[in-house]
Amino acid sequence: MNAKILTFSSDGDTTLLEYDPATADMEEVNKVIAEYEAKTGAQPFDMATGERIEKVTREQNEILMVHPIAGG
Amino acid sequence: MNRTVAAVNFYDGAICMAATTLSVIAFLALIVWRFVFTGLRRRLFDREIAAAQQQHINFLEQGLQFLGWGAAGNRFENGSDGGDPIDRKDRAKTYLRRIVALTGATQMGNGYALDVGTARFYVRDRYVRRLRGLTDPKRACEETCFYPVHKDLPEVEKIATALLQLANNPALFDKWAVQSGLAFKADGQVFSRAP
Repeated sequence: MNAKILTFSSDGDTTLLEYDPATADMEEVNKVIAEYEAKTGAQPFDMATGERIEKVTREQNEILMVHPIAGG
Repeated sequence: MNRTVAAVNFYDGAICMAATTLSVIAFLALIVWRFVFTGLRRRLFDREIAAAQQQHINFLEQGLQFLGWGAAGNRFENGSDGGDPIDRKDRAKTYLRRIVALTGATQMGNGYALDVGTARFYVRDRYVRRLRGLTDPKRACEETCFYPVHKDLPEVEKIATALLQLANNPALFDKWAVQSGLAFKADGQVFSRAP
């Protein structure tokens, strides 16, 4: 089963990246996430536990990139 | 006398021929106009569809570009998630339900109650209220509004985003309550837009 990284969007949800966790280069996946965070401020959450994660591992199959929130 | 009749006949024939020619021209013009108009309409329609599709593709490509993986890149699957708007709405609701379950929140009216430590948050669209010291009868109640940087999110996804962030980092409420207009990442760091 493929793993995917997705985010909420005005279209509902959008898949940013889909990969095979068995064979994917996880360094590359984490690099992609870091670049996405740098650009949008979104941070990765594991949709299996609801917890924010620092690094994605092969065990995580669904990562939600959660966008920043402002008050006011 | 004969000459006069011939002239009259010629005159009648000319009028008749001119009228026929005009009718033929008008008919031809109508046919040409119909083809041109239909073609133009079809072209406009195609262009509108292409624009709508391009908008979706652009959004994904934008994501791909800053990720440094072009659309041609094999590793990247940009096939999200277009499809039926009703389907998308249902998926958004499904995500909210999942996040409600993950965070242990409970639905209350049009909002959700979330207990984190000794605080209880009530989250609804764009507003969050905090009750501190659940066991303290003099507990303080504060409210602030919030909005995700992605302003076009459906309401349920705004709520899901807030629930997920508060469950992981309840101190975010204090940052939002300052209402400085600053956006905060889930870990509490200020997010300033990339140039």
